[in-house]
Amino acid sequence: MSDVQNYLSPHRLDDAVKAMAGGDTTVLCGGTDLSPQTDSGLREYAGTLMNIRRIEGLSGIDLIDGQIRIGALVTVTGIGNSQLLDELAPVLVEAADQFASDQIRNAASLGGNICNASPAGDMIIPLLVLDAVVELSSWRQGTVHTRQVSLDEFFTAPGKTVRQENELLTAVIFDQPAESFVAHFRKSGPRPALEIATVSVGIGGRLENGSLSGVRVAMGAVAPTPLRARSVEATLEGKTLDAETIRAAAVDAGEQATPIDDVRASAWYRRHLVCVFTEEVLNDVLEN
Amino acid sequence: MNRKSSDTPIEKTTLIGKRVRKPDAPDKATGKTRYINDMVLPQMLIGKILHAGRPHAEIVSIDVSAAEKLPGVHCVLTGKDAEGLRFGFVRDNVALKNRVRCEHDEIAAVAAETEEIADRAMALITVEYRDLPGVFTPEDGREKDAPQIHDDFPDNKSLHFEFRHGDLAAAEAASEIIVDNVFRVHHVTHCCMGTSCAIADFDSNGKLTIWSQTQYPYNYKMDLAPALGMHPGDIRVMQPPVGGAFGSKLDVYPYEPIAALLAKKTGRPVKVMFSREEEFRSSPTRQPAVIHMRTGCTRNGTLTFRSADVLLDNGAYTSWGPTIPVVMMRTTTGHYRVPVVHFNAQAIYTNNPYAGSFRGYGNVQTTYATAQQMDMLAEQLDMDPIDFHLKNAQQSGETTPQQAFLRECALDECLRTAAQASDYSAKHRRYTLAREQQGRYKKGIGLASSIHNAGGAKIHKSDGCGTILKVDDYARVTVITGASEIGQGIDAVINLIVAEELGIPLEHVTIVNDDSDIAPWDVGVHASRTTFIAGNGARRAAVKARQQILNAAARMTEIAAQDLDLRGGFVVREDCGTKVIKLEKLLRRMHFQPEPELVMVTDYYEPNSEPEGADHRSDHSAAYSHAVHVAEITVDTHTGEIRVDRITSAQDVGRVINRMGLEGQIEGGIAIGLGYALSEEMQLEKGMLKNPCFRDYKVLTAPEMPELDLHFIESNCAEGPYGAKGASELPTIVIAPAIANAVYNATGIRFFNPPLTPEKVARAIWDRQQTETGPSADR
Amino acid sequence: MSLKTEISFRLNGRAVSVTIPVTMKTLTMLREVLGMTGTKYACGEGECGACTIRLDGRTVNSCLMYAVDCDGRELVTIEGLKTENALHPMQQSFVDHGAIQCGFCMPGMIMQADYLAQNNPELSCEDLRRGLEGNVCRCTGYTKVLDAVTAVVEARR
Repeated sequence: MSDVQNYLSPHRLDDAVKAMAGGDTTVLCGGTDLSPQTDSGLREYAGTLMNIRRIEGLSGIDLIDGQIRIGALVTVTGIGNSQLLDELAPVLVEAADQFASDQIRNAASLGGNICNASPAGDMIIPLLVLDAVVELSSWRQGTVHTRQVSLDEFFTAPGKTVRQENELLTAVIFDQPAESFVAHFRKSGPRPALEIATVSVGIGGRLENGSLSGVRVAMGAVAPTPLRARSVEATLEGKTLDAETIRAAAVDAGEQATPIDDVRASAWYRRHLVCVFTEEVLNDVLEN
Repeated sequence: MNRKSSDTPIEKTTLIGKRVRKPDAPDKATGKTRYINDMVLPQMLIGKILHAGRPHAEIVSIDVSAAEKLPGVHCVLTGKDAEGLRFGFVRDNVALKNRVRCEHDEIAAVAAETEEIADRAMALITVEYRDLPGVFTPEDGREKDAPQIHDDFPDNKSLHFEFRHGDLAAAEAASEIIVDNVFRVHHVTHCCMGTSCAIADFDSNGKLTIWSQTQYPYNYKMDLAPALGMHPGDIRVMQPPVGGAFGSKLDVYPYEPIAALLAKKTGRPVKVMFSREEEFRSSPTRQPAVIHMRTGCTRNGTLTFRSADVLLDNGAYTSWGPTIPVVMMRTTTGHYRVPVVHFNAQAIYTNNPYAGSFRGYGNVQTTYATAQQMDMLAEQLDMDPIDFHLKNAQQSGETTPQQAFLRECALDECLRTAAQASDYSAKHRRYTLAREQQGRYKKGIGLASSIHNAGGAKIHKSDGCGTILKVDDYARVTVITGASEIGQGIDAVINLIVAEELGIPLEHVTIVNDDSDIAPWDVGVHASRTTFIAGNGARRAAVKARQQILNAAARMTEIAAQDLDLRGGFVVREDCGTKVIKLEKLLRRMHFQPEPELVMVTDYYEPNSEPEGADHRSDHSAAYSHAVHVAEITVDTHTGEIRVDRITSAQDVGRVINRMGLEGQIEGGIAIGLGYALSEEMQLEKGMLKNPCFRDYKVLTAPEMPELDLHFIESNCAEGPYGAKGASELPTIVIAPAIANAVYNATGIRFFNPPLTPEKVARAIWDRQQTETGPSADR
Repeated sequence: MSLKTEISFRLNGRAVSVTIPVTMKTLTMLREVLGMTGTKYACGEGECGACTIRLDGRTVNSCLMYAVDCDGRELVTIEGLKTENALHPMQQSFVDHGAIQCGFCMPGMIMQADYLAQNNPELSCEDLRRGLEGNVCRCTGYTKVLDAVTAVVEARR
């Protein structure tokens, strides 16, 4: 019962963004989110259904001039299996390992997970910790135009982002972390992985002589969008990671969280878990 | 070595207790099996149901004209098409409703060429509702001014059950310790992997053939007929392979008569199949209840009495759910030696989804209470729980207050075996001491037991099973049995029994049990009865065939029948195994002799149990059995997560028939029980289900399955086939209180309301910290 | 009516061309267009794994996957594992270990188990359990499933 008038499966990026110029396009990649959302009526198809899976050049994970660039079509399995990421940004591999099930990891794309903009998005939290930006491409004045948006500013509400209708998310980019950068990720759920995170916490920073600097703290499913917890970062910045600091950070993290009650957990429990996980992740960071 | 292999004597061996494969497993493993969900018939239409989507309302108007006009739509039915066709245990249900009493009530149904057209037709139906105030707990339902759900059931009262034995006041007075608790057990549902499905087709003589997932095909006819205004004799029930049942297919649910009504109206076969969301919202549930239980004992640890006052959330209609007190009272009266018992249960109509039967049938709920109270009493007595259990455990030959005769009782041995294998007592003491110490992770060990009928349960007029067995000219055997196969493995059990008696390969036995026009009567797959009842039937039929064959062989060979045996496809000498004649050769001789005879026998086995009866004093099962589970767990006191490390199970199975199948039943039963204990819960908000998907309704997956240590106690039941007892419900029954007792052992906190979700556990631990230390600033 | 398009792919080693609605899922195409009913519908949301198939060597939930995305690719379903003469070793192991009761989840479970065993010859018990977490079985409690897969992995070592 869809009103799809047009199906496209471009091989070239310029063809893809040209087709999106007029808006009214539903982008299909792995389908792991699009499928249940359209089936349940949560989301309707636009006039054009565009399968971006075959676009060339969006499936690589590369280190270029000190920056890591992950193409939007890279699957979660691709992230989990990446040696480059395992060496340079293992927190992404850690999160990929906890992402849904094998079958979904094999289909779900990084770009899709980000554009779906779930407050619980599993790949988003570690990418916030890595201070990633997203690359958005569009067709403008006869050429492919790109702009970069900090991931931190990308999300506006559950399922909503600053991406314009004519823009395609083509890559995620972040600076190669420093040697001393350590980051970890933790999420919860009665079923260990096939779970939309009740909450998740990611923390990273440069660990030197037992203290963290350049700290980034991100939390999932505790606010309408994935959250950078700036005040927790301030609490930790430059401090020795002793029990007292960790405790203070945990308490602060709980205060920063503004979760809701829903069928998966109460607000109380989400806040409680944020505290527990913050403490746990900081201990993991310290032991790294 | 010169001896020809055909002369080699055949030794006597037995298949009983061996590991036997399910005959249908290869087709299931290759995707070849055609489940009912896979079936497509020529000219078949797709039926879809419009559910109310609100818990309690009047229907002001309904307009189906636009849907009827949609090309490809063959008919649209509404409440007026089912008026007066009341069905159900107390005739309080109709297939299509004129008034809404629960969220999933069926308001209209469409038959169309394709699913897509049916879906579009559904969207064109307009219904105007006038919502009514609802009743969502049994306590609210019995309030004086509560909204009335059924006009003919005043005060929202559904079924009531009572049993009294002994002087309660005197027993209470004689008790030095009494525990008194209210347990609130929750809504869960079966989650069969194959969603509900029925295909109905009428022939030109008006006879209905219904392809069904039912697990009780013969009474199903009786229960379906009034929903269609038909005679039960005009219904043929076909049972293709199903994707699980677990009790959920032990009644007629509205989608089945709806499929038939659509088929009748259109003259075409109609298939109705649920989506997963419909399955969650519209399937039966396990019966939720509020159980007020009291148990007393003397200072020396002898039980004095038990009383249970139970309020059942009936839901909107009466299926088998509200009848569970029949089993609840058996546990209340029979779980350990209790001299004085009072049991009272009242089911109250609510606007919640309604309960059917579910593996464990009332005993899951009751044992959650009785087995925890045993643990509580032991603690108050300062006794090792195992000693307390042993002291009150019945022995063979005892009779319960409800007159259940425990002919072979192995509770004692189950308790000792499970406790010893898990080192229960030492660990229990150690973890109790460690409870007060610092540390995030706490270990706990918990023991629970229960009793269940293990030789059928005579709640109908009959608890029997018919068997027809024929042997063809090639010594291939067909067993036509009333027993249904729903995945549990009666096919392998019957193969094994018949092969055992007739000395033929397992693969030479074929079972026919999918057509009610062919197979004889059986009550159905329920009450852990099928191996016991249908197994006895198959054995008795096979013994008759064996006797006929041996008698014929004796006539031909002039060796006495008692000196002959059937082994490896041959008639052999009993004593030395020397071959006398090839079985198939003998069968052909029998067939083609001047006075021909075919081997075809019938048997009707009716266990020697007594009908349940109105006073509930009867030996209602031909056997009873016990199981003991010891659960070892680790609690993360910060997140509240419970990891189940290991479960030790000791169960009286009478005698192992098919070891592999039996293990599978126990393992699977434990998994369902663990889900009940830990994670599964239908979250209802004013009668509306909030988590109708596997994402939010958490059944166990492989990583959460603990290590299992299974012990089969063989008490050799005199009535059971080869000594076997029924086995498949106890594992689901016993595990939840074992977990709850283990959590208590680990944390010192009792949970009266399963499931023990991480949040519930974390909250309880947190609340306790607050009361112990006073409200603190952090968190 | 829905827009349709023609796609071509290989299914269990054979070339297939089929015209399907662009929003149809692979599971529906397999079951209702191609009559390949071995792959099961049980949730339609990627939560239970009963519809697991192999796509270009990796397992996916066919209920989530758009049929159009099969174009030009290689699909293997449960029907494609068996050879003419014998069950696939993983199928045989499930049969021999009593891992199949109602069996409805088993096509997906076996596809995923085979993928895990092939992908990781060193598959540990923990890897195996984690690897099967997207496959729900209501009958077996997974114990015999784990036994069946472990036996295949060990036999290959």
